[in-house]
Amino acid sequence: MVGADAGALALAQVVISGLLLGAVYALLAIGLNLIFGVMRVINIAHGELLMLGSYATFWLFTLWGVNPIVSLVLVLPAMFLLGALLQRTLVDRVVGQPLLISLLLTFGLSSFLIGVALNLWTANYRSVPAFSGSIVVGGLALSISRVIAFVVALAITLAVWYFLRTTRLGKAVRATSQNTEVALVCGIDVARIRLLAFGLGTAMAGAAGSLLAVIYTVYPEMGRTFLMKAFAIIVLGGLGSFGGAFVGALALGVAEALAAFAWNTQIAEAVAYAIFIGVLFVRPSGLFGVRE
Amino acid sequence: MGGRDGLSRRDFLRLAAGAGGVVAIAGCGQSAAQTGRGSQPAAGQPAPAAGQSGGAASSAPIKVGASISTTGSNARTGLYQQEAYLLWEKQINARGGLLGRPVQMIIRDDQSDPSTGQKLYEQLITDDKVDLILGPYSSGVTQAVATVAEKYRYPMLAAGASASDLWSRGDRKYLFGVYSIAESYFTGVVEIAQKEGYRTIAVVSEDTLFPKSTANGTVKLAQDKGLQVVVQEQYPQKVADVSSLIQKVKAANAEVLVGGSYLPDALLLTRQAKDLDYNPKLLAFSVGAAMPDFGESLGKDADYVFGPSMWEPELNTPGNQEFVRAYMEMFNREPDYHSAAGYSACQVLEAAVNAVGALDNQRIRDWLSSAEMETVLPGKYKVDANGMMIGHDAITVQWQGPNKVIVWPAKYAQGTYKLPTPAWSQRT
Repeated sequence: MVGADAGALALAQVVISGLLLGAVYALLAIGLNLIFGVMRVINIAHGELLMLGSYATFWLFTLWGVNPIVSLVLVLPAMFLLGALLQRTLVDRVVGQPLLISLLLTFGLSSFLIGVALNLWTANYRSVPAFSGSIVVGGLALSISRVIAFVVALAITLAVWYFLRTTRLGKAVRATSQNTEVALVCGIDVARIRLLAFGLGTAMAGAAGSLLAVIYTVYPEMGRTFLMKAFAIIVLGGLGSFGGAFVGALALGVAEALAAFAWNTQIAEAVAYAIFIGVLFVRPSGLFGVRE
Repeated sequence: MGGRDGLSRRDFLRLAAGAGGVVAIAGCGQSAAQTGRGSQPAAGQPAPAAGQSGGAASSAPIKVGASISTTGSNARTGLYQQEAYLLWEKQINARGGLLGRPVQMIIRDDQSDPSTGQKLYEQLITDDKVDLILGPYSSGVTQAVATVAEKYRYPMLAAGASASDLWSRGDRKYLFGVYSIAESYFTGVVEIAQKEGYRTIAVVSEDTLFPKSTANGTVKLAQDKGLQVVVQEQYPQKVADVSSLIQKVKAANAEVLVGGSYLPDALLLTRQAKDLDYNPKLLAFSVGAAMPDFGESLGKDADYVFGPSMWEPELNTPGNQEFVRAYMEMFNREPDYHSAAGYSACQVLEAAVNAVGALDNQRIRDWLSSAEMETVLPGKYKVDANGMMIGHDAITVQWQGPNKVIVWPAKYAQGTYKLPTPAWSQRT
């Protein structure tokens, strides 16, 4: 009996770990989805924007002892501005161009940012030793860093959702995402909306980076792993679907955790790719996407 | 305008798949593009014939080539080895060079990638026409590079490799070990665990050559000593999350956790063990735990952790104190055992060239396979018929407060170990 209980407990623990992490994935994937929706640009550099957020939090913590959550107050607006700057100077040039052009641009940007990070900060693996340890609730050990990351990620995601749902500007973003031309005709300043969308997407990636810095290790090439996860989540949840990306992210978090527990961590790393390919075959529109 | 709406979800999927491919391809492509601090031969300077210049009359520098992982997942460890090479280069040139000629190190960055390392050594030997080579960092890269060394008959001291696989096939004639084989790393830890009466052990490792070798060796050692191996599992290189693995080890009630790891995963395993409130009585990691960086990164959480070490700065081996002093002067940080192993390889190579008196790779090889000498490492340089190191003494250290203390074997011990490891919640 004790064995069965222990087994169930361990399983519950694994599922919770996955859910906690999934919320951070959601933050990343929703930002990517938003940028694609408004501009039809697949941002390969999204993972590197996450990496920049991680380093910002790492340095703020290491140099001045800034609490990683407090650092978000700086990271969010700074990343928003960086995103707006990138959009104004680079990305705007490729909007409406053949898709290969935008892929090449953002891919170049991604490699550039990795190179800069390698040169400025070396390839060393860094970590932010804040919030270590756990809270034990009814036999379940909840990692403090993950609980905090979960709560913050959820709060930011909800705030963005509320913004898109209810505000005038948010509605303009959604309108642009649905049909740029009609939005233009309706008098929406599409250029400004793009600026906003890229800034917002970048800020969300940066925030995800800040939160992941507390859980994982920070290094220049960390972004690529997470970019693949974000792709898988969007494909799973359905393109353009806010709720789909959210559910998809939680599902991926749990699926990875379960796969690692049931088999091993090597298989867990392949879960994102398996989902990616599987969904393409079975239901290309994703769980919540609309079939065209 | 126009032409923008035609994009469907299907396009996105196709593009996203393409994008994934681009990223994967780029990952491979980058390797060739980057070179480390390789120095170009000056124009007009006659290049000495590869390996056979004989050392007479010529005053052109002797070129010594190597690749090191200075970026990628093994960068932090690789740098220690590279620094040792650079220190030796500086010192030998200050001493008047090798065979009366200056020494020029040519070091390239293999980005922790075996196939890149292989390409770089091929390049070093055929394009740069280096006279001598030194080993790269990590068993995986060494495994790939060894075939190049065999092909061109360049003897190579494996300054950063210890998986016994490298020598066990017995068909390598040009590869020589510098420190103990990976399989024996945890001899001290397993012995201590047995002495303390611990019965269950979990062995986890990265799925690359060296970590797997330490793990397999440890499993065998543990079984021989009557410990029960409750979990044995591997995880991929660059793993981001090991929480499910820790969960499994915790559920299996392992009293001892041994990680066949490099530094990043050693840090990750320790942090997540704490996060998930897993409290083993003994925690040990292969590479990582013995590095100063481990204590720096983890602070108090490093306390009580064991690690095998191939060398420590306090040892009384010949020339050790001078080595540590010169290293700290040049690089402003304490060397770790990877530095010492790199330095030891340089010492042996220097002795070999001096003994032979010429840059004759064949005779250098013969000398390396039969010689015995003392270096900064404990024990001595002495290899078996396959080139595998048998003269070196591995040691075991434990973090006690801010210091690493040598706790095994008795011959080198500075203090006694502290066990059992207290639960995370009971530490202050």
